[in-house]
Amino acid sequence: MNARIVEILVSSFTKILLPGIRVTIPLTLASFALSFLLGMLLAIVQVAQIKVLRQIAKLYIWIFRGTPLLVQLFIIFFGLPRLGIILDAFPAAVIAFGMNLGAYNAEVFRSAIQAIPQGQTEAAQMIGLNYPQTLLRVVLPQAFPIAFPSLFNNLISLLKDTSLASSITVIELFTAAQQIAARTYEPFALYCEAAVIYLIFSTFLTWLQGWLEKKLVWKTKEKYLVGAGNEQQEERLNNL
Amino acid sequence: MEWHQACGMVQNMLEVKNLHKKFGSNEVLKGIDFQIDKGEVVAVIGPSGSGKTTLLRCISFLERADQGTITFEGLHYDMQHITSKEIRKLRLGMGFVFQGFHLFRNMTALGNVMEGLVTARKVPKAAAKKTAWEMLRKVGMEDRAMYYPDQLSGGQQQRVAIARAIALNPQVILFDEPTSALDPELTGEVLDVMRTLAKEGTTMVVVTHEMRFAMEAASRVVFMEGGLVVEEASSAALFSDPKEERTRQFLRRTIADYDRG
Repeated sequence: MNARIVEILVSSFTKILLPGIRVTIPLTLASFALSFLLGMLLAIVQVAQIKVLRQIAKLYIWIFRGTPLLVQLFIIFFGLPRLGIILDAFPAAVIAFGMNLGAYNAEVFRSAIQAIPQGQTEAAQMIGLNYPQTLLRVVLPQAFPIAFPSLFNNLISLLKDTSLASSITVIELFTAAQQIAARTYEPFALYCEAAVIYLIFSTFLTWLQGWLEKKLVWKTKEKYLVGAGNEQQEERLNNL
Repeated sequence: MEWHQACGMVQNMLEVKNLHKKFGSNEVLKGIDFQIDKGEVVAVIGPSGSGKTTLLRCISFLERADQGTITFEGLHYDMQHITSKEIRKLRLGMGFVFQGFHLFRNMTALGNVMEGLVTARKVPKAAAKKTAWEMLRKVGMEDRAMYYPDQLSGGQQQRVAIARAIALNPQVILFDEPTSALDPELTGEVLDVMRTLAKEGTTMVVVTHEMRFAMEAASRVVFMEGGLVVEEASSAALFSDPKEERTRQFLRRTIADYDRG
């Protein structure tokens, strides 16, 4: 590597990193929050067997999973103004990413909810819980740890997919890299640099996932464990 | 609805009449009449596939019957056309103990017992906790109150499940093969709890393969086969002097199995 490229890489690092922190990360988080809520809603509507809403949810998932994300992004940002709906680039990106990933998260939540044994719901009904209470108190808290790895997987995908927002004028991490690359004529070095910064972000998320997954196990805190003389039991608890 | 009461008729606490249930083309219940009085312990026995579990599940509306009527706590319902609101009302008077325990895995033993009180019946938390502790003590599980179901043995889980049912003070508790999923050495602790409840006058329907429990703890035994009640009698009468040939065969077979085991 010659000194000029090293110079460019060093001086551009913060210029790419900062839009990453200021735009890519908020864009990822906001989109994911939207996709989380939307996914939950679409999943509940399906498992609750509400006839009309269920069909609407299926239609929604069919469309948003079946068409390219970039096309959805273009329809929302460049297409909707024709219908009189004009959005800034950032909110347009949040809506497009959120609605797209919502379809995927809906399937994650639906399969997680369906993985909860029927007996849990029956037991809840027999102690007098109504359907919303059963969902909120019993089914969703158990479905969430099952859904968690797939949700996080989608979050990491989303982080990288936000680079598509550069095509609708959002100044994010990749847009910054593109601009510097155009100025310096060093596309290889700069796009690699952008890739490394994405990798740093996603590495952090991967680590976060591992840490959170450990927190999601229901386990009695040590201080509550009592020795009742049952050695086998004690041993099992120690091995948890 | 309250026609029976109005007429001042003598009636059972829970009465089911002409109960029919099909799964597809398989007719599992072919017209069951079943009743239980307050304070009675009724054991329902019979070979696998005889419809015992389906009977309990229809009574508690975990399965919807195709035909039949139910009278419970003086109210009379058509089992096929009952509304979900009426089902919820009926269930407030029933407890159910499952073969597979079905403790809520996201709650401690204490949380499991409190849940029906706090969430469904809006009992204040402190009072619910007090009741839950009492119930756990009753089933000998108070020292495991803060444990999650996965940290408990099958027998312990089933005892907590019984505590969860009795905490709501139901009129009747339905037990669906409560010891069938347990290792043989763990059935005793669960049956002991059930014997205690029986002695205290708890109204119980117990679907079971535990002949000794049926013999000792039940006041009445119902023998089912092929979706029909073949014979019912006091526990002493049914075991010592069964009237029907099929009952005799069944008892011979199961008791021989016991002796072998």
